[in-house]
Amino acid sequence: MDFKDYYAVLGVSESATPEEVKKAYRKLARKYHPDVSKEDNATDKFKDVGEAYEVLKDPEKRAEYDQLRKYGARADGSFQPPPGWQSASGFGGGGYTEADARQFSDFFEEIFGGGRHGGASSGGGFGGGGFRQNMRMRGEDVHARLALFLEEAMNGCEKQVSFTVHDADAHGRLAPRQKTLKVKIPAGMHDGQHIRLKGQGAPGVGGGQPGDLFIEVELAPHPHFTVEGHDVLVTVPIAPWEAALGATVTVPTAGGKVNVKVPKGSSSGRKLRLKGKGFPGKHPGDQIIVLQVAMPEQHSPEAEKLYEQLAELEKNFNPRSKLHV
Amino acid sequence: MTSKDQILTVELTDTNGNTFTLREICERGECHAEFVIKLVDYGIITPVEEWREAHQWQFDVNALSRLQKALRLQRDLKLNLPGLAVSLDLLDEVQDMRREVARLNQRVRQLMGD
Repeated sequence: MDFKDYYAVLGVSESATPEEVKKAYRKLARKYHPDVSKEDNATDKFKDVGEAYEVLKDPEKRAEYDQLRKYGARADGSFQPPPGWQSASGFGGGGYTEADARQFSDFFEEIFGGGRHGGASSGGGFGGGGFRQNMRMRGEDVHARLALFLEEAMNGCEKQVSFTVHDADAHGRLAPRQKTLKVKIPAGMHDGQHIRLKGQGAPGVGGGQPGDLFIEVELAPHPHFTVEGHDVLVTVPIAPWEAALGATVTVPTAGGKVNVKVPKGSSSGRKLRLKGKGFPGKHPGDQIIVLQVAMPEQHSPEAEKLYEQLAELEKNFNPRSKLHV
Repeated sequence: MTSKDQILTVELTDTNGNTFTLREICERGECHAEFVIKLVDYGIITPVEEWREAHQWQFDVNALSRLQKALRLQRDLKLNLPGLAVSLDLLDEVQDMRREVARLNQRVRQLMGD
């Protein structure tokens, strides 16, 4: 088991006053709150910060922790409590706290014990009074996220979804369990859309109904396509002569390659619309092709001569007329 | 218990009008109806048909996830109701902007041919 340096977690010194500890906690709790932070490991950091504060805000626990910190930590970062160690401040035993001790680390459990025995849940279900046996409770809803490629979201797919549920035993102890399901994702899922799998959340307690699994779909960025509402945009480069003379070009769409007619005299930014080739649904979106005139990196002397002729022929054209120059 | 190999068909919550009653949303959020009513008063969550009496309210899944977020923020950061209302609105705005920035960045990369 690794030793947890609660002072380092909160970024305070060993001599920090309770006020300083509280201030550091409040700041970090705001920073790492999983509903606020976008950092990948915000949930873990938030738990660490909560656990550190739980110990350091309480003078008794802090004193015990300081003592252990002095004698229990080994040079390699591992930790073993001294033989016969028992916490006097004791986390269990119905001592109500607002922190969700079910989430605390093994290290915390080893020192202060009892934290996972249900008494400290902050949810309204368990209340402050500890777990009651024979209680009938609906299982927790589980919220998960699922990243889909654009093609998967548009065409539908089968996906494996893994998430953690907390099973409660007869004594109300919660144990995390990894659950994996194969789900069929329907075609036309949008970024941020929710799907529900009834009864696939945490199991109920005492014969209560299981919770549901809610999955929020996230679209992974695509190298060529962007999504705007129900439409899918793709930028397609064309040669200057294709833009000038018109051409039939092959363009990629989410449904595969298609040939598209570029109208004569197309400027960069011109949009061509393929009706109904966007996101499927009641009101299917369009695939929008945005043309972009691309120049070859180098021209041959012959081509340059042709451009010079062109410049002479078209010298009345001012592409910057809108800029009044 | 569902086996790992069974393929489950999902339910789209945003389109098929799947909603929760006040009682159901309280049960799922593990909170009292009074709290939900206050959140509705502050405009933090909105029933599908707000003009109805509280006992007839129906909430969609977005309201449920907002309620759960509100409960977590209140518990963890000790926010009061006006604070919750401001924070959740700002968080929504931040999320919309992050999405928009990501989308625009992607467009710029595509236009630059990266």
